[in-house]
Amino acid sequence: MKKKDLSRRELIEATAAILAAPLLKVGVVGARVPAGAPARVLTQAESALLDELTELLIPTDEHSPGARAAGVAAYIEARLAESLEPEWRARWRSGLQAVDALSHELSGKPFLEATPDQRVAVLTRMAAGESAPKTEAERFFIELKQWTVRGYYTSDIGIHADQEYKGNVYQPGEYAGFDAK
Amino acid sequence: MTLVRVAPPLLQDVDLARTYDAVIVGSGAAGGMAAHVLTSRGMDVLLLEAGKKLDIERELRSMEWPYEHPRRGDFPPGSHALSFNEYTIRQPPYAKKTAFKHVYSYVGGWSGSDYVKNILVDEKDHPYTGTRYAWVRARALGGKTNIWGRLALRLSDYDFKAKSHDGYGEDWPIAYADLAPYYDKVDLYLGISGVAENLPHLPDSRFQRPTKLNTAEVRLRQSLAKTGRVLTPYRAGVTTDGLKHNKYRSKCFGRGACNRRPGGCDIHAAFDSPTGLIYPAMDTGHLTLRTNSIAHEVVVDRNTGRARGVAFLDSVTHRSYEAKAKVVILAASTLESARLLLLSRSPQHPNGLANSSGHVGHNFCEHVMGPGVTGLVRELVGKPHTLDDGRPGGFYIPRFRNLKERQPGFIRGYGFEGSSGHEMFPPGAFGTPGFGAGFKKTVRDHAGAFIGMGAFGEVLPRYESHVDLDPATKDAWGIPVLRFHYQFGDNERKMAEDMVVTAREMLEEAGVEVVGVDREILTEGWSIHELGTARMGADPKTSVLNQFQQSHDIRNLFVVDGSSHVNASCQNPTWTIMALAWRSCDYLADEFGKGNL
Repeated sequence: MKKKDLSRRELIEATAAILAAPLLKVGVVGARVPAGAPARVLTQAESALLDELTELLIPTDEHSPGARAAGVAAYIEARLAESLEPEWRARWRSGLQAVDALSHELSGKPFLEATPDQRVAVLTRMAAGESAPKTEAERFFIELKQWTVRGYYTSDIGIHADQEYKGNVYQPGEYAGFDAK
Repeated sequence: MTLVRVAPPLLQDVDLARTYDAVIVGSGAAGGMAAHVLTSRGMDVLLLEAGKKLDIERELRSMEWPYEHPRRGDFPPGSHALSFNEYTIRQPPYAKKTAFKHVYSYVGGWSGSDYVKNILVDEKDHPYTGTRYAWVRARALGGKTNIWGRLALRLSDYDFKAKSHDGYGEDWPIAYADLAPYYDKVDLYLGISGVAENLPHLPDSRFQRPTKLNTAEVRLRQSLAKTGRVLTPYRAGVTTDGLKHNKYRSKCFGRGACNRRPGGCDIHAAFDSPTGLIYPAMDTGHLTLRTNSIAHEVVVDRNTGRARGVAFLDSVTHRSYEAKAKVVILAASTLESARLLLLSRSPQHPNGLANSSGHVGHNFCEHVMGPGVTGLVRELVGKPHTLDDGRPGGFYIPRFRNLKERQPGFIRGYGFEGSSGHEMFPPGAFGTPGFGAGFKKTVRDHAGAFIGMGAFGEVLPRYESHVDLDPATKDAWGIPVLRFHYQFGDNERKMAEDMVVTAREMLEEAGVEVVGVDREILTEGWSIHELGTARMGADPKTSVLNQFQQSHDIRNLFVVDGSSHVNASCQNPTWTIMALAWRSCDYLADEFGKGNL
């Protein structure tokens, strides 16, 4: 419960921080995570597992912070929480369980208790079927990766730190617009 | 310099007791142009728009970063955009029996769905039936010009005189020389950027400064030049030098993320009908605007046989009204104008109004799309990131088929739209295999090295390609809906096969590695370039309108949108729609002044 609340608050704070120095005013953000969403969709352990998986998919490197710093897991969880499709939520929980099951199979341990090398081995196995997934873990990898990629490259860190995107800002000296004079 | 946002003019009170000089149905490119031309000629005009008057800056929020939106621009839960798969495996009405609260056309599935939910119609309220068709409708002041792709091309006599060239279909009742002065007027009044290429099949406009081609695009241009083909910077209906006569629009400053929203431009450097045409028309004092007004019948005076006005429903209250006018101008879009003529049936006009020819709803045509190619320029991998999406578009490769030579498999031609370089969301990210640090670096290094293009081809007009009224199905306002009888034919399929071949060849010739090929034809309607359905012509037996988009049957009724086009050509139609509307409304105002209408 606390983990979930924290995730959501982090999400709001992250957005609020961006709003603190915007180029253009946008609307009120605090109310944007719908109030009617279920209080909790993943257990604390599942949230931690999701967070670790996203970071392994897009890790921090010498160039830029990774998916954990970008709050990707919290973003995915917020989308799951407000979804009107219970079967979608169930698929994610089931997918996370499949990751742990695969980890047990390969190293005898749950994913988060496995060594870094063992974790990578689990993901490597999941990614092996990327072009033609067969097992549940392989299918889950596709969806996990799509959402991680989307979540990361639409994040503050993904756009600015990793991609060093240069657009979407007014450019003094270039922009004349309609001159009121 | 400071950015000055100019508020829209104040609305004039609508007076339905009054007979206006003209009533226009629809406020998109065609209706906006009619309003501009007629009010500038001093006529008092009432403009009816079925959708809402939106605060478009608030709708599009062009500069909102993805992470400032709780769903990164996606719809809220319960809203859904139709996918290619749904259009393919199901039949219209697509929103029938769905569990979703709101269903939108595929355009809602582009990045930034949440920003267009008030612009696109909800398919649940606006069903249609018949054959598969991805019908994209925008009901809002300005219509689809709020979200259009901005490629602004001229037609040529290869199009206007296509029958003379290859024997198929009909020639237009006008030649390029008739329309050229009006293309010029549209260029100068609205602004267009591009480079003059002096091509007979794609005449030049009166261009403002062009956007720049980047490295990969220049390489492809140079390679194509060896074979006589042309790659030219995207001819965009965007003002790059500014427009001194229009205080509502700003010039483009290459801000970036132009392709993030479905076309919206909150500084209005890209043309849209409200700021480009309608607000200036309101400033003349001659334009009265009524939004939320769903026209469902052109009312005819039984004694004179002349159009008397337009019957409409208020979309909110469902109350009925009639707007009276001396001239009625339809500009509701190709399909909605045809629907309106068919709905205006009566004992005197059992097949619908202006339809003594039986051609209303027929000769329906558009552009076929889907085939395309993605290439990777190896030398660009790992280069520093640049701003490449601060342009309304990348490039255009004009038609090269069936100009001098004759293709064995098909008639007419196609052009390519494409672009290269970095975007806010890294190109290739979803298609890059693997995970981890290697994946992340690969995405980063390759993001600016892709070049992609997709074709738009002419769909032949055929009498049997048509829409009519569904005898049973009605929209949320109780108005009968359109039923489609429309499918691509053999010419389109052969052309699409050729698109795939030439696209691949052109990249390979330029030394670009082909990394993706799209062969599949997208669902009918996907190009959002529907045309025909009330074509112009000299012969009242085989056409609905004369060369001035005036009904052969009813002298004071005009249809000034894409429904008047005799064929689709392969060039995007918006600029031609506006040039034709300008020409027709000039004629209309002349005739009105002489008391001939």
